[in-house]
Amino acid sequence: MSVVRNWSGGRVVSLLVLLLAVVVSVFPFLWMLVGMTLNPNDVLRGILTPGKEFVSNWEKATRNYNLLLFFWNSIKIALLTVFFGLIVNSIAAYGFEKYPSKARDRVFGILLLTLIIPQIAIVIPMFRMFAFFKLLDTHAAIILPSIMSVFIIFFMRQNFKMFPTEIMEAARVDGAGEFYTFLRIVSPSMQATYASGAIYLFIGQWNSYLWPLITILTDAGKTLPIAMASMMNAYTIEYGALMVIVCISVLPVLVLFLSMQKQFVAGLLGSVK
Amino acid sequence: MEKRGTYQQYLNRFGWKCVAPSMVLFCVFMLYPILSSLYYVTRRWKGMTNTFIGLGNFVRMAHDQVFQAAIGHNFLFMFIQVPLMIFLALILAVLLNQGIRHFRGPIRLAIFLPSVTSLVVVSVLFRVLLQANGMLNNVLLGAHLISTPIGWLNDSGWAKVTIILAMTWRWTGYNMVFFLVGLQSIDTEIYEAAEVDGASKVRQFFNITIPLLVPVILFSAVTSTSGTMQLFDEPNILTWQGGPANATMTAALYIYRQAFFVNADFGYATAMSYIVVLISGIFAVVQMRLLGDRRSK
Amino acid sequence: MRKGLTLALALLAALALTVGTFTSCGKAMTNKVTVWCWDPNFNVYSMKQAAAVYNKAHPNVNIEIVDMAQDIEAKIISGLQANGAGLPDIALFQDFRIEQFLHDYPKAFVDLKAAGVDYTKFAPYKVGPMTVGNSIYGIPFDTGSTGLWLRTDYIKQAGLNPDDYYGKNLKWADIIKLGVAVKAKTGKPLLAYQSDNFDMLRIVVQSTGGQFFNPDGSLNLRSDAFKKSLALFKELNDKGLLYQVVGWSDWINAINSDQSAGFLNAIWMVGSVKSRPENKGKYMVIPTPLIEGVSGAANASNNGGSSWYVFSSSPNKARAVDFLKSVWATSTPDNLAFYNTILKGAGAMGTYLPSQSGSNYTAADDFFYKSQPVYKDFAAWMTNVPVLKYTPNYVPMRDAVAHATLNYFQGKLKSIDDTITAAEAEYKQVMGQ
Repeated sequence: MSVVRNWSGGRVVSLLVLLLAVVVSVFPFLWMLVGMTLNPNDVLRGILTPGKEFVSNWEKATRNYNLLLFFWNSIKIALLTVFFGLIVNSIAAYGFEKYPSKARDRVFGILLLTLIIPQIAIVIPMFRMFAFFKLLDTHAAIILPSIMSVFIIFFMRQNFKMFPTEIMEAARVDGAGEFYTFLRIVSPSMQATYASGAIYLFIGQWNSYLWPLITILTDAGKTLPIAMASMMNAYTIEYGALMVIVCISVLPVLVLFLSMQKQFVAGLLGSVK
Repeated sequence: MEKRGTYQQYLNRFGWKCVAPSMVLFCVFMLYPILSSLYYVTRRWKGMTNTFIGLGNFVRMAHDQVFQAAIGHNFLFMFIQVPLMIFLALILAVLLNQGIRHFRGPIRLAIFLPSVTSLVVVSVLFRVLLQANGMLNNVLLGAHLISTPIGWLNDSGWAKVTIILAMTWRWTGYNMVFFLVGLQSIDTEIYEAAEVDGASKVRQFFNITIPLLVPVILFSAVTSTSGTMQLFDEPNILTWQGGPANATMTAALYIYRQAFFVNADFGYATAMSYIVVLISGIFAVVQMRLLGDRRSK
Repeated sequence: MRKGLTLALALLAALALTVGTFTSCGKAMTNKVTVWCWDPNFNVYSMKQAAAVYNKAHPNVNIEIVDMAQDIEAKIISGLQANGAGLPDIALFQDFRIEQFLHDYPKAFVDLKAAGVDYTKFAPYKVGPMTVGNSIYGIPFDTGSTGLWLRTDYIKQAGLNPDDYYGKNLKWADIIKLGVAVKAKTGKPLLAYQSDNFDMLRIVVQSTGGQFFNPDGSLNLRSDAFKKSLALFKELNDKGLLYQVVGWSDWINAINSDQSAGFLNAIWMVGSVKSRPENKGKYMVIPTPLIEGVSGAANASNNGGSSWYVFSSSPNKARAVDFLKSVWATSTPDNLAFYNTILKGAGAMGTYLPSQSGSNYTAADDFFYKSQPVYKDFAAWMTNVPVLKYTPNYVPMRDAVAHATLNYFQGKLKSIDDTITAAEAEYKQVMGQ
C-alpha cells in the first residue's frame, strides 16, 4: 500500500509535518485538562503547569453553574434521541430498501432533497409551532425534531442493501411475519450499522446548539453547549470552572470515539462511495 | 394470480407501515415548517402584530448591506477555508499513508481528535486562547514574532482569520480520514508503474493521486460548503455575535438576530432564509453535476 | 429471556423519561417569585437584600433571583413572542430599552400606577421612559450618574499628583494630557474602551446636552455635539489612550486585570471595582470631563440605570407586585435601611427620593483614594445630568453608530463625515426604510 521511499530527507520532513499537525491538534485538549486546575487569570494567560485549583473549580462548576444538572439534561436528551431515532430511522430504511416501490422511491427522493435545507430555515416556523402548543422550554421540543434523520435513513439503507433478501424470503416461507423478520432476523445482524447510527445520532444531539438555544428559556433546562455559551456571556468569566465544564462535555464523545473507533468513523463517513 | 396480487399488496402495505413513523415526523417537523414559512415571508412583524407587505422583505434585502456582507463572509470562508482545509487534509493523508507503519494509528488518532469536539467547545477554547492578553499572543510576544498583541478578536480583519483558524483546526482531521480511506483504495501498482516510468514523487501526487481521489475530494467539498453556508456557532460564540462590528457576521447568525433579537421580525428572517436555501441549493446542484461528470469518466 | 428483560426495562425507562420531557423546564409554583436580572455584584445583590426585607414579613415566599447575564434580552423576546412561556414574574429592563418593549408589546406588562404605586416619590427623569399615556409600568431602580474613574497608583507612577485632578471639573484637553503622561511612564492606556458598544460615546454626547434624534423621532447625527464627541474619541485613539476590547466581559476583565489606567462609566461600576479588594485605595472618581465649545455642556452624564417590571403573563403577579410595592416603593424604616445598605454594598444608588437622606449617601468610602465620599459626589453630579431622549429606535441607532465608529478607528472609514454617513446608512437598513 505505501510506496517505500529511500529518500530519508523527505521522510524526516514528512514526519516533522505530521508531528506539527499532531501537536496543534492535541494541544488544546492538554490545555483544557491543565486549565481545570488553574485559577481564572492563569487559564487566560496560558500557564501550562498544573495548579491546585481543581477542587475549587469543580465546586464552582457544580454549585454555581449546575454542571451535574446540565450534564444529566444533555445525556437524557441524547439517549432518548438515540433510542427513538434508531427505531424510527432503521425501520424506515428497511421499508425503503426491502420493499421497493416507485411511490416510495419518489418519497425518498423528496427526503434527499431536504438535505440541502439549512437548519436556520426551519427554526422560526418550528419555534412558533412549539410556542402555540405550549411546548417551548421543554426537552421534548429538542428531542422530537431530531428523531427522524434523512442522513441516517440513507446510511442505514445503504447497509440494508447488503443484507441478502434470500434470508428474508426463507423466513417468509417458514411462516415468519414481516415485522418478526425485521426484529429477530435482520436487525441482530446489523449491529455494526446500529452502532454507527447510534453514535451519529448521539453526537449530533450532544453537540446541538442552535435549536436548544432558541427553545430553552429557563436555566434548569439548559444543555451543556448552552451552559458553556452562557458562561462566556457572564459578567466575569470563571475560566477555571469553564474548563471543567468543557472537559466534561468532551468526555462522553471522546469515550465513544476511543472505544468504538471503527463504528465512529463509519458513522461519520456514511457511505462515501 | 389473485393470491399473489394481495400478497404483493400486503408487502407493499407493510413497506408503508415501516416508513410511516418517520414520515409523520417528517411532515410535522420538516414539511409543515417549510409550508408555514410561506405565511411569514410576506409579512412584516413588529412585536405581536404583523402586516402584509408582499415582496417587501425581499426588496429590503436588496438594500441591506449587513445581510449582503454576511453572505459575503459565508462565501469568503467557503472559498478560502474549504480549499485550505482540503489541501492540508490531503497532504496529511498522503504523508500519513506513506509514512512509518508503527505510528500511523496514534498519529491518525491525534489529528482526528479535534473532530470529537462540538463547535461550541471549539469556539469557547479559541476565544480564551485568542484574547488580547491570552496565551497565543503571549507566546508570540515571547518568541518576538510580534511586538504588539494581535487583536484576534477585536480587529475586523484578524477576526475573520480567527474563524478560519478555528474551523480548520476542527475539520482538517475529519477530512483527512476521508482521504485516507480513499488513498487506501488506490492500487499501488499504478505508483510502481509510474516509478518505473521515471515520474517524480510530486508528479505522481498531481497526476495520479489527485485525479483518483476526485470523488472523495468533491464529497469533502460538498459537505464543507454546506457547512460553511450554515455557519452559526463560531461567529456567535467565538467572535461574539458576528463581531467586531459585523466583520464575521454570517447569514445564519444574522437571520437568528433578526428573528430573536432587536426587532423580532420573523418575516424578514424567513425571507432571508429562503435566499440561503436558494444559494445552498445552487451549490449542491453544481457540485452534484461535477461529481456526476467525474463518476462517468 | 435476559435480553427480553433488559429490553423491557429499557423501554420502560425510555417511556418514563419521555413523559417527563413534555413538562416545562421552568416550573410555576405559588409563593415563588422569579426575578431575572444581571450583574451578580449589583442587581442580584440588591434584589437579594430586598428579598430579605420582604421575607421578614412573609417568610413563606421564595424569591428566586436568576442572573441571566447577556442572554436576558433574547430570552425575554422569545418568551414574549411565545405569549409568556418561560418568562419570570419580574424582570429588570434598562431604561433605554423599555420604550421599545412598551411600544411593541403593549399588553405584556402590569400597570403599577393602577396597582397603587406612588410615583411622586421617584426621580422624574426615571419615571418618564416607563410612562405610556395614563399608565406607568415599572419600579425605578438605579441611577447611572457617571464619572471618570482613575487609578491613582498609575498617576503617581507617571510622576503626577492625583490631588491635582481630585474633585476638579476638568476639560477633555486636560485629561488627554494626563493620559499621554501616564501612557509614557506606565505603558497603560488611560481608558478601557469597548469598541463594539457606544455607551462611552453616548456618555460624552449626553454630557453636551446633545440628542441623537430630532423631536419628531427622525435620526440626527449631524449635530455639533456629535461631531465634536466623535473627534474626541478619534484623538484619544490616535494617541493610544484607549485599550480596545470587544464584548462586555472582556471590558470588565480589562479593568480588573489592570490593562488600563481607568475608564469612563457610571456609579454602578462600584460593585465590579470592589470585587478586586487588592485595588483598595487606588481608585478615585472625578466629574465627567467637559467637551469644549458646545453650549449646554456639563461635567455630568448618565449611563444606564434600570427599573423593575412585572409581566402580565406571570401566574404570581399579585405577589410580585406586592413585593415590589412594599419594599421598593414604600417609606418604612426597614426599606430606607435597605436602600442605604445597597448603596454601600454595591454602589446602587436608588432613585427613591425618601431614601436619599440615608447615612451612606454622605459617608466616606474607605475603598477609594483618600476615602472619597463617592456617593455624595455621584448624587451631586446627578442633579446636573442633561436629559437624553431615547425613543423606541434607540438600539438600532446605537448599533449603527458603534459599527461605524469601530470602522473609523480601524481606518476603514476616513473621516468623521464618512462615519456619520455610514451610520445613517446602516440605521436605515436595519429599520427597513
